[in-house]
Amino acid sequence: MKIVSKLAIILLIACLVMMGVSCGDEEEANELKVGVIGPMQFQMGEHHWMGATLAADEINAAGGIQVGEDSYQIKLVQVDSNELVSVPDAASAAEEAISVDNVDVLIGTIRSEAALAVQEVAMDYETIFMVCGSSETAMSEKVAEDYDRYKYWFRITPVNNTALGNLNFLLVGAVAQKIGAELMMAPKLAVFAEKASWTEAIVAAAQAYLPPQGIEVVGVWQPSDKATDVTAELTAIEAAGANMIMTALSGPVGIPYSRAWEELQIPAASVGINVMAQADDFFVNTGGFGNYEMTLNSLARDVALTEKTLPFIEAFIAETGEMPTYNAGTYDALYVLKEAIERADSVDMDDIVVELENTDYNSVAGRIVFDDNHDVTWGPGYVTALGVQWQDGELKGVWPPADGSWNGVAYEGIVDYQLPPWVVEFWTQ
Amino acid sequence: MNVLSTYLSRFYKFFTGEIFVLPSRTTALLLCLFLLIFPLISPNDFILRVLIIASIYAIFAASWDLLSGFTGQINFGHAIFFGVAAYTAGLLNYNLGLAPWATIPIGALAAVLVGLIIGIPCLRLRGTYLAFATLAFPLILLGIIQAIPNITYGELGIPRVDPLAGSRVATYYIVFPSMIVLGFIMWKIADSKIGLVFHAIREDEVTARASGINTTRYKLLAFCLSGLFAGIAGGLYAHFVNAGPSTLELLLSFQVIIWAVFGGIATIYGPIAGVFILYPLQKIVLTRYLGVPAELTMLIFAFIVLIVLLFMPQGLITWLRDKTEKICPRCKLQNVATRSECRVCTAELD
Amino acid sequence: MAENIIVYGLVWSGVYALLAIGFSLIFGVARIVNLAHTAFYMLAAYLIFHLNTAAGLNVYLSVFLAIIIVTITGTLSYRLIIARIRQHESTTLIVTIALAVIFQEAVLKGFGGTFVSGPKLISGETGIFGVGVLNQHLLTFGVVLLLLLATWAFLMKTRTGVAIRATAQDREVANLMGINVPGMEMITMAISAALAAIAGALVAPLGVLTPGMWMHPLIMILAVVVLGGLGSLKGSLIGAFILGFSEILVVFLAPSGAFLKTSVALTIMLIVIMIKPEGLFGIVFEEERG
Repeated sequence: MKIVSKLAIILLIACLVMMGVSCGDEEEANELKVGVIGPMQFQMGEHHWMGATLAADEINAAGGIQVGEDSYQIKLVQVDSNELVSVPDAASAAEEAISVDNVDVLIGTIRSEAALAVQEVAMDYETIFMVCGSSETAMSEKVAEDYDRYKYWFRITPVNNTALGNLNFLLVGAVAQKIGAELMMAPKLAVFAEKASWTEAIVAAAQAYLPPQGIEVVGVWQPSDKATDVTAELTAIEAAGANMIMTALSGPVGIPYSRAWEELQIPAASVGINVMAQADDFFVNTGGFGNYEMTLNSLARDVALTEKTLPFIEAFIAETGEMPTYNAGTYDALYVLKEAIERADSVDMDDIVVELENTDYNSVAGRIVFDDNHDVTWGPGYVTALGVQWQDGELKGVWPPADGSWNGVAYEGIVDYQLPPWVVEFWTQ
Repeated sequence: MNVLSTYLSRFYKFFTGEIFVLPSRTTALLLCLFLLIFPLISPNDFILRVLIIASIYAIFAASWDLLSGFTGQINFGHAIFFGVAAYTAGLLNYNLGLAPWATIPIGALAAVLVGLIIGIPCLRLRGTYLAFATLAFPLILLGIIQAIPNITYGELGIPRVDPLAGSRVATYYIVFPSMIVLGFIMWKIADSKIGLVFHAIREDEVTARASGINTTRYKLLAFCLSGLFAGIAGGLYAHFVNAGPSTLELLLSFQVIIWAVFGGIATIYGPIAGVFILYPLQKIVLTRYLGVPAELTMLIFAFIVLIVLLFMPQGLITWLRDKTEKICPRCKLQNVATRSECRVCTAELD
Repeated sequence: MAENIIVYGLVWSGVYALLAIGFSLIFGVARIVNLAHTAFYMLAAYLIFHLNTAAGLNVYLSVFLAIIIVTITGTLSYRLIIARIRQHESTTLIVTIALAVIFQEAVLKGFGGTFVSGPKLISGETGIFGVGVLNQHLLTFGVVLLLLLATWAFLMKTRTGVAIRATAQDREVANLMGINVPGMEMITMAISAALAAIAGALVAPLGVLTPGMWMHPLIMILAVVVLGGLGSLKGSLIGAFILGFSEILVVFLAPSGAFLKTSVALTIMLIVIMIKPEGLFGIVFEEERG
């Protein structure tokens, strides 16, 4: 009996002590805690963190966020969502950040499943959550359905699924034109999309709308987003007689795809979305393959979308040695937040939301204005995104065309799209 | 008054005679009580969240033990029960608006049905064949879920499932006591004649059959019972976290075996303890209290599991039990290891 | 189309066969379900990549070193860890999973989680039946074929091979006949790990490397060995071809369902073992003697 009760008491005390420690996190005055949530062990998460760090350092150095007489310093909290490995971890991490670390705002996430889960948690706590990585429309639809609950949610980057679909078709159109002009042939398109919710609309729309525009769709290939070898799929695409491939890839499958595409010299120009091809180390990761691949991107090294673009890219490269991906949109997120807080002149979440809705901010990626569903607006004069192509190992901006033929939008630093030489060679022989 | 005092004295006798005689039972009782009053001490939402999920997984791990630990039919795809119930509950709630008290039992019944469906063909398989075959079921279902996103909502999971209760503390007081009750029921089943037959099937199926036991029926019963409890866990999970592909992933099937084996199989309380040790360890203790960097938790977690099992291959709780308790050779009752004679029949303990 | 299916079917079936045979060997000889088997494959692929790119070693030297290192790691983990708990079946499962996770996390910490592709052993492509086949694919298939033959010859023709087979058939009797059973088990484990490492070396240049790359092949080889019959090398070989080809067939015949290839392969496995519960070539194991 004695040992028993002793043991039990020791256990109880140990537990109590632990709980006591857990509640010791005091918030300091005049500090805005921002949780940067992302897969911190992967490049996407690193870019989330770096983008936010740059902005926070700049803002803090310039005196912080002014609210009335006070100035608030931004304090970043790194939140590892582990979402690429285990989706449920993301919601857990978000809740830990909010309820234990007392963050006031969350920014980040990349995978749609995880972003949706984090959205629910953040809304439970009426915490502002700005997505920098997932395009899932289901999130903004929730704002429309239940505004009072979901009004704390905003999307900074990328543009939503619908806009991505439109962009994809614009890029496909540009390449199809090139094929028509240079190869004198009708475009025949193979759709290569990972099986995921965000590609569904794109795949369906491609089959419905492209044929009437004179672009024949020869087939749809849907590998898993984690497939590590797609040579078989690509060979099948070649056999189907395609001269263009429209990609919709966000997962690691983008690497083996690009690699086999150039190595097997598949005679079809590759255009669309390949998130893996947006990163600087793409060429290293594919072992030097993937030249001439075209993908959607938010930034390109020499393209000045606004006056802030190039300085940011320079600063980011100086810090990390890498070109920022769209996940580094956390940089814009913090500035958007700062401006909203200063306009609201309050740190009350509801006040900030009102001012966030009134955002009209010239960011690194273009002019950020939120639509009714808190999605970043896409279109000429707003965030447009870019078509970029790998040319001789460098990522060059190739769309919108330099002549301003797309709604008069023309950026400095855009170059011409080049058809892959092996494609030209194959079809002209 | 008289009745009350009789009850009280019976109660007292039960406690002194059955619980306080063994340190393991005393600790278990104290820990249960502690966890029951825990929200009053520290109502931190995140810690409660971890404990709620741990409770759900504890039911799940114990249900694996009921099937695999007791009958020896190793199930490598236990997530199938969890996932089917989570999806059933989630879809019923989202599409038809049924409340959790209806969706969770229906989800559990769906899991029982799955137990029957996969149990019948799997009866022909033995040992490792069974283990690897069961692995396939949740993975095939995952493929189907991906293939029909207009019904299953694909990889995003069901958009919104109603929460179990309005507040975190209320949810805790639904889930944690449910875990205690369900765990107790499973322990009772395992302790009954059915449990004995399960044991017999694991030890020697041929002999069990030769003794006139319809082993087929019992194995099927094990699949269904296990499905039932795993299904309840899955339904709770759907209403607390969500119903998505992660409820069917290979990782979860492996995880449940890790918890169960870590605690000690064929005990029911072993897997429950396993979850309550490992899950909070992985989610809070390592990073918050031991200062382990977040990116190293998984590595350290795997090391802990490895080391513990290397020295206690029967599982941590089983090891502790064997160190602190002796079984009376005559009446098979547990005794504290320090005793020299049985507390009931006074037979000499070795 | 048909020629594409044959070429790619052969390549991937070959890789699965290589992995499955190693897995099957150690199961047959020591009755160990080594779930860390494909983690050795992952480890080898990463070692090659990093020895080659970071340490700047020659590709062939890196491959050689990686195979050696992984074989030693495999043997050591058998010796120090698996052998100690092997009599507890479910504990073995968990300990080998824990091992796999440790390797995965170690790779994640050591080399980072970015997806990379391994160095090519040979480059270029060759036309066979009018199909563009990467030379790397040809090499893969060639090496697989060679190794399968070598393993077969080793088991059938050498004294050690016979001893290993004897141990697989009956440990106790083999022991009585003077065969060094623990020694045979060590040798088998070394061969098994080496085969996994070679498979890693062959696959590394084909796809991308991620620390989680051991999961999918693990599922596939578990299905393969069950389909073929546990412990039967012939079964593993044929099982690998059936499942390898069914994956490729899905990709070619139902392109918009390519993501379902694993599900289809697993379904085929299930159907076969429902009809033939001991797999295609399995022997029904009697209860081990106590």
